[in-house]
Amino acid sequence: MVSASRKAFASWGALALLAAVLFAAVLATRPLVPGPADVSAALGQILLWQSLLPRAVSALICGAMLGLSGALLQRVLRNPIADPSTLGIASGAQLALTAATAYAPLLIEVSREAVAFTGGASAILVVFLLGWRRGLDPVTVVLSGSVISLVAAAVSTTIVLAKGEYVMSLYIWGAGSLAQQSWDAPLALLPRFAFGALAAFLLLRPLAVLGLDDSAAKSLGIALHAMRIAVLVVAVWLAASVTAEIGVIGFIGLAAPTLARASGARTPRDVLIAAPLIGALLLSVTDSAVQLLGSGFADLAPTGAVTALFGGPLLIWLLPRLKAHMRPGTNPLAQKRLHRPYWMMIGLAAAILAAGLAALMIGQGPHGWSLATGVLLSDLLPFRGPRIVAAGAAGAMLGAAGTLMQRMTGNPLAGPEILGVSAGAGVGLTVALYLAPSMAPQFLIAGLAGGALTTLIVMLLVAGRSGFGPERLLLAGLAMGALCMAIISTVLAQGDIRAFTLLVWMSGSTNNASSVEAWTGTVAAVAMILPLFMFWRWLDVLPLGEATSRSLGLPVRRARLVLAVFASVLTAVSSFLIGPLSMIGLVAPHLARLIGFARGRDQLAAAVLLGCAIMIAADWLSRIIAFPYQVPVGLFAALIGGPYLIWLLNRGAAHAR
Amino acid sequence: MKLTRRDLFGAGAAFAAMALPVRAAVPERVATVDWSVLETLLALGITPVAATELLQFSEVAVEPPVPPQTADLGLRGTINLEVLQLAAPDLIFSSNFYRASEERLQRIAPVESFTIYAPGILPFDACVGMTRSIGARLAISDRAEAFLAGTDAEIAALKGRLRAGDGRAIIPINLGDPRHFRVFGTDSMFGEVLKRLGLENAWRDNTSYSAMAPVGLEALALTPDAWIAIIPPIPPDAARVLSQSAFWNALPAVREGRVIWLDPINPFGALPAARRFARLLVQALPSAERARG
Repeated sequence: MVSASRKAFASWGALALLAAVLFAAVLATRPLVPGPADVSAALGQILLWQSLLPRAVSALICGAMLGLSGALLQRVLRNPIADPSTLGIASGAQLALTAATAYAPLLIEVSREAVAFTGGASAILVVFLLGWRRGLDPVTVVLSGSVISLVAAAVSTTIVLAKGEYVMSLYIWGAGSLAQQSWDAPLALLPRFAFGALAAFLLLRPLAVLGLDDSAAKSLGIALHAMRIAVLVVAVWLAASVTAEIGVIGFIGLAAPTLARASGARTPRDVLIAAPLIGALLLSVTDSAVQLLGSGFADLAPTGAVTALFGGPLLIWLLPRLKAHMRPGTNPLAQKRLHRPYWMMIGLAAAILAAGLAALMIGQGPHGWSLATGVLLSDLLPFRGPRIVAAGAAGAMLGAAGTLMQRMTGNPLAGPEILGVSAGAGVGLTVALYLAPSMAPQFLIAGLAGGALTTLIVMLLVAGRSGFGPERLLLAGLAMGALCMAIISTVLAQGDIRAFTLLVWMSGSTNNASSVEAWTGTVAAVAMILPLFMFWRWLDVLPLGEATSRSLGLPVRRARLVLAVFASVLTAVSSFLIGPLSMIGLVAPHLARLIGFARGRDQLAAAVLLGCAIMIAADWLSRIIAFPYQVPVGLFAALIGGPYLIWLLNRGAAHAR
Repeated sequence: MKLTRRDLFGAGAAFAAMALPVRAAVPERVATVDWSVLETLLALGITPVAATELLQFSEVAVEPPVPPQTADLGLRGTINLEVLQLAAPDLIFSSNFYRASEERLQRIAPVESFTIYAPGILPFDACVGMTRSIGARLAISDRAEAFLAGTDAEIAALKGRLRAGDGRAIIPINLGDPRHFRVFGTDSMFGEVLKRLGLENAWRDNTSYSAMAPVGLEALALTPDAWIAIIPPIPPDAARVLSQSAFWNALPAVREGRVIWLDPINPFGALPAARRFARLLVQALPSAERARG
């Protein structure tokens, strides 16, 4: 660690000291077991040796594994926000466990670990297969990862809803509790960490080369694909092991390498050594704090949730101090250009009309399929009409919001979910559930709007200090999203009526839409989308980058601010209507662009139309696919949009050759 | 065309029906979106035309059985309003959990809502009140009173059987995973039933009407003298992992065989669920064996 500064050693030493002091405090303040003296003493010994110590060791090992995994992923993908969760590993594992708990408990009986590992590995395998044709291009890999993550999260939530009584177990696991009753977990994890560390050490030199761009690396004679896959496999395996044994512990994989670089680690070697160290200490500090702040034997909250509670703000605080150490990923999208975009748009509008009519008239009743006309239609209209309108309006708004974010950041990964505004709305809802005098709709709406707005303001303050750099905005949004989801999952773990309401909101169902929702959606969509076409020049110029935009005379900061306000309000209203999980804001603009709507206003209009059509179709499917049980529309948006996007990405790749 | 006497009578009857205030009509087609109401209706011999999540209900609540003619409204979180509309109820029972849907339910039929599970409300007494209200609304007050008397009698009989027991306190818990549990405090439905059975709840605190947030298994060491009553759902691998856990096996209650694994009971149920809990618990406690033998 020759190149790491003395300051770096000092800050890492201070962190280690803090971890040690907090753990000593945990040991000193551990509650005594009541009862007869002999029983109490025996139980106390067992608690110390079979619970407290294995827990502390688990925290260190898991933190180190996640830190190493994150460092490897970030290096190999050349992406400072790569982390086990952005690649879908955590969501894949969670989905496998959720599905097995609900439908194949025998598998869980055989091995909970194997089930989770299979899920995580499958998710990453799909991501790799999708990225293969592009030579595992970093942006494609992370993009596929987020698509799969969202689909998996949506399916998990649906299963939890369908099997309501299993909620608690899933959310404890989902939020990653480190509580232990034996040495099984640390003993299982230690050899895996040792192997991972060894592999990382052997890959040190090739890793340095991977920091170069593709042509430079190739000219050095490195087998680029093989090397990347080797590193990725190690990183994924580390993260999946932790997820399998402990659960999802957000942010350590993201924060540890970032902190390592921020505190003075310069070479890949430094980062690879420092990241596991910092990860271990971070998780240890968190876990001790959770135990100290809880009362008696009860933790304050699951450790995995708390890492994001303070990891998120920490990262946001660090952002202005970060230099761009990594090259941003290159834009992988093949640029096809439609010569007659307006004909295509008329086609899209016709598709919306057809989907709307079909959704209105075709449905299932207790006696099978029916084409509703006349009296039956007018009976069902009050239920079908508002949800179709609400879904379409939400889709349109998400399409617009996504286009704005992708244009503003010049980054095809941007979307309302990634900016954290959807999750922020959820926190607002949580606050409203706790503080509002009742659960009347107006309080819930106010809560959602307040949450979205607060998230937006924080994002603006953070990113606005140094202009909205694309990576910075994504990183801040990601941190904010994780922080918000951590708050939400802590509340979900309480398992009372507030959790029930949150779960219903998160599932993104239009089932409860009434004329209020339909009108809210329609008015907001029209009022917020139409003015955007005045900004068409901003949309065309901003993706060219800050310097170019400025030299073309664009008021860059003001343009981004205005567009960000529009994007956030659009996101808030649509998350009120269809929950935070849908991925239309990412998918619709993508599709628009891949179809060939290259200019800003064309892409915007096409994304609005596409979002609207997809949501109406998704809403119809969600109504009929498991009749009379209704699948949340957020899930269906993801299930329709995800595979379609992936297919188009691959088609685009073929065209590019 | 000649008017018959029957036509005239019919017209007269229709006129009389119109003149009656709507409120006085006894609803014949009753639907419910809430499980505690569903239990109560079934226990009172009423077959609702529609109710929510019937598949899960038969797994979690188990009794009373739901007749096949009751339409399934799907998940409690996303009530299928189209099915509810087609079931054509003339009264819908709801609860505070569904306040957000109430306006839309109102569009289908009049809604009557109960609050059983909310902070500061004792669920057992609230259920007694709900049973009486339903009885009065459906003009079956006699059946409601008979059911309440039956409930009192069953609990009194079970309490009698406990006299031969060891008198130890009970800690009613639900395992979240092999390392965490939730406990049902004195103000939960299970806590209330324990009180009526003359048993002590080893967890002395209130837990605000339901179970409290999950705590680590270590907290079970706080109640070494109690019976541990485990209420399903039980996580698939919990039994296996617990049997290997040094801490679990060292707990006095476990060492001395004071662990009861109960059959499924709806923790947010009404009086039928309360009676089921009382019955299953007393059957599982050793005093019952002695009382029988």
